[in-house]
Amino acid sequence: MTLLDGGTLPTFARGCAVLGSGGGGGVDVVLAAALQAVADHGPVPVLQPEDLDATALVMPCGVIGSPAVGAERIGGGTEAQVLRDTVERLHGAPVAALMSSEIGGSNGCHAVAWAARLGLPLVDADAMGRAFPRMNQNAMELAGIAPTPCVLTDERGRTVVLDHVDGRWLERLARGVLEAFGGQAATSEYVLRAGQVRTAAVPGSVSRALAIGTALADGVPDEFSNTLPDEPGGGLDRLITGKISTVDRTGAGATAAIVEGLGPDAGRLLRLEAQSEYLAAFEDGRPLILVPDIIAVLDTRTAAAIDVERLRYGLRVSVLALPCAPVWNTPEGRRLGGPAAFGLDAAVTSSSAVMPGGVIPETAR
Amino acid sequence: MITGIEVGPTHTDAAVLTDAAVPWATAKVPSVPGDPVASVRHALAALPEHPRTQVAVGLRGLAQALDERRGLAKVGVLRIGGPAAQAVRPLFGWPAGLRDAVCAGTAIVEGGGGFDAAEWTPLDTGAVAAFAAGLASRADAIAITGVFSPVDGAQERQAADIIHRELGDAVHVSLSGELGPLGLLERENTTVLDAALHRPTADLADGLRAAIGGTATVLVTRGDGTLMGLDHLRRHPGLGLGGGLAGTLRGAATLTGLADAVVADAGEHRVRVAALTAGFPQQALDAQISGVPVGFWMPDVIRVARGGPRAHHDLAEAVDRMQPAAGRLPLIVVGGAAADVPAALPGVSEIRHPEHGAVAGAIGAASSPVGGQAERIVRLDPRTGLQAALDEVREEARASAVRAGADPRRVQVSEVTQTPLPYLPSVTLRLHARASGPAHPL
Repeated sequence: MTLLDGGTLPTFARGCAVLGSGGGGGVDVVLAAALQAVADHGPVPVLQPEDLDATALVMPCGVIGSPAVGAERIGGGTEAQVLRDTVERLHGAPVAALMSSEIGGSNGCHAVAWAARLGLPLVDADAMGRAFPRMNQNAMELAGIAPTPCVLTDERGRTVVLDHVDGRWLERLARGVLEAFGGQAATSEYVLRAGQVRTAAVPGSVSRALAIGTALADGVPDEFSNTLPDEPGGGLDRLITGKISTVDRTGAGATAAIVEGLGPDAGRLLRLEAQSEYLAAFEDGRPLILVPDIIAVLDTRTAAAIDVERLRYGLRVSVLALPCAPVWNTPEGRRLGGPAAFGLDAAVTSSSAVMPGGVIPETAR
Repeated sequence: MITGIEVGPTHTDAAVLTDAAVPWATAKVPSVPGDPVASVRHALAALPEHPRTQVAVGLRGLAQALDERRGLAKVGVLRIGGPAAQAVRPLFGWPAGLRDAVCAGTAIVEGGGGFDAAEWTPLDTGAVAAFAAGLASRADAIAITGVFSPVDGAQERQAADIIHRELGDAVHVSLSGELGPLGLLERENTTVLDAALHRPTADLADGLRAAIGGTATVLVTRGDGTLMGLDHLRRHPGLGLGGGLAGTLRGAATLTGLADAVVADAGEHRVRVAALTAGFPQQALDAQISGVPVGFWMPDVIRVARGGPRAHHDLAEAVDRMQPAAGRLPLIVVGGAAADVPAALPGVSEIRHPEHGAVAGAIGAASSPVGGQAERIVRLDPRTGLQAALDEVREEARASAVRAGADPRRVQVSEVTQTPLPYLPSVTLRLHARASGPAHPL
């Protein structure tokens, strides 16, 4: 059985940062919280869904809101306990295990910290297989699991329960609650049974983050040995190694950047398009990869993931591609988490003006 | 005439500038290891006789004091935030040796807030008093860090009053809201190190005052490329971190007249590569001191080896990484080993080797203004107009420069930069202003 402890957590967090596809919030502060939680309460066992009784309650959980608020209100006092108590009361059953609502970015580590504090195991799964900006962009929404009752709480136990709404209204109402909470809330939604996890969630996410973190333990390798997408760390592909040669922030939350190839990749240019996450990479006008597949921009020397807001000229980077969880490769999955969900419809067929308000530099030296 | 001195690890440089900022005399003497004050005394003695009205000293030893855990204050670490600030305890993840050398005790008390005034929880004043009482005779200094204090520092000041009441006015108190932006853990680290440095900087300030003597105005360099008086250094010791390199960058600007450039400072063993933006050092975003992430305003720097087969390649890459865009800015080469940097590097449009570059640090100290900064986070709503907030942050920057020793009649305030914070429901801006002016002639 896999254990998340002080030794494995940094590797796990590195994998979570890669799966964030440039978004999902930085992992540093929450990794520190998870390290402290396992130091104080012991390591967190990672279970397969079948290790639990099929009717056992699994609580997806995470934090929504602004990274600027999260960097200040680091939490930790009561929110895990309040989420569990409220979910148990609403469902009339004990919570058997936690599950990250979003493996990509900081939320992968939040679930570990809370599992340690509650003395509960973590299920080897998550709700997205990556990071997405909206609460309803997850596998359980596609599987028809009810998003509610949804619990939102702050660090002082102030709690709101949303009920009788679909995914779209969940997102709308949760944003209102978020504002009242000052820009950050701990949440649980789409609560499910262990027997539903393998088909309704994204199984294997914790293992995948660990395997990716391990593959990058000594920096970015020239070749990834394990290319089979079905293996836990499989399907990693290096698109280019080079330097960031332009970054254009276009105001409406969109960012475009050019990676100029260096060394064996000299002469190649890769264009990245991003909003909260990296959404697409183009070469010679053709998309090499599109959301919901995962794009990671890593510091070539340290393999640290560089999120969208930290892109700047001159960084030496390697751009990696990873396949998304299979659930996103269905027509419904594409509609909820594909290019069209980000206003990128044109990207598949056209090489210009792919972003709303996006600017594509004519040249990159 | 203004005298500038930079105390380096091997040499101490001195320069005297005329009122038109032209070098009138320079000197280079060996540094006295571990004794910056003696180094300053020797450098002054090596200069020709001149009226000593203002002496500015480039600080370089503060980070070393932390690295070597030398003479540091014992700090009580107070965090205000209650359950909103528990997930990572104070000093978690610090190198054990530094934590043991610095920490006199920690506490997390109820209080703290958010962007909106309605979100604030009252400060647990009893818990602050109890923490202070428990530290009596164990702590030389207290570092106070409150959740959202960069938005409103009132609770930190309230806690400081309680601590002074309990422990007397002599105890040094550092407030996080005066030291850094949002980001609780990094700002707390910054505040604790600031407090820990108050002992070595107090000794340094006394020593410099005595060594320079007379009625000369004595100033030291800051990490942001400006200067401050000795009293300001005593109150805000951490502001001196990175001051040596910052002074060297300023010197490169003075010697070339370039406000935007990449600078390579070639020393005995290594070359430090940094950048000038509008005449001042470009700020590091991921600054670390002794393995601890901090938010001090220090120059962004890449260090590369001076010798070896890859030295020129590494230098060219470092210069490119410091550029805001491909090959845009010239490279200024300064420092004792400047002559060893080649006249051409791949990807660099222009290389300057200014005269007197070997003493750029001393020239920068002599030619920099006294400075101040102010930062404020404001949430825009119909009641608080943007203009009022802009005026306020400008005035704060001006007042900060005057506290640092600038002549209030001649302080100039820069444009206020406005940075929106993402993913928040209402418009929230980080406002930042800098102010600078010549030293007050006292």
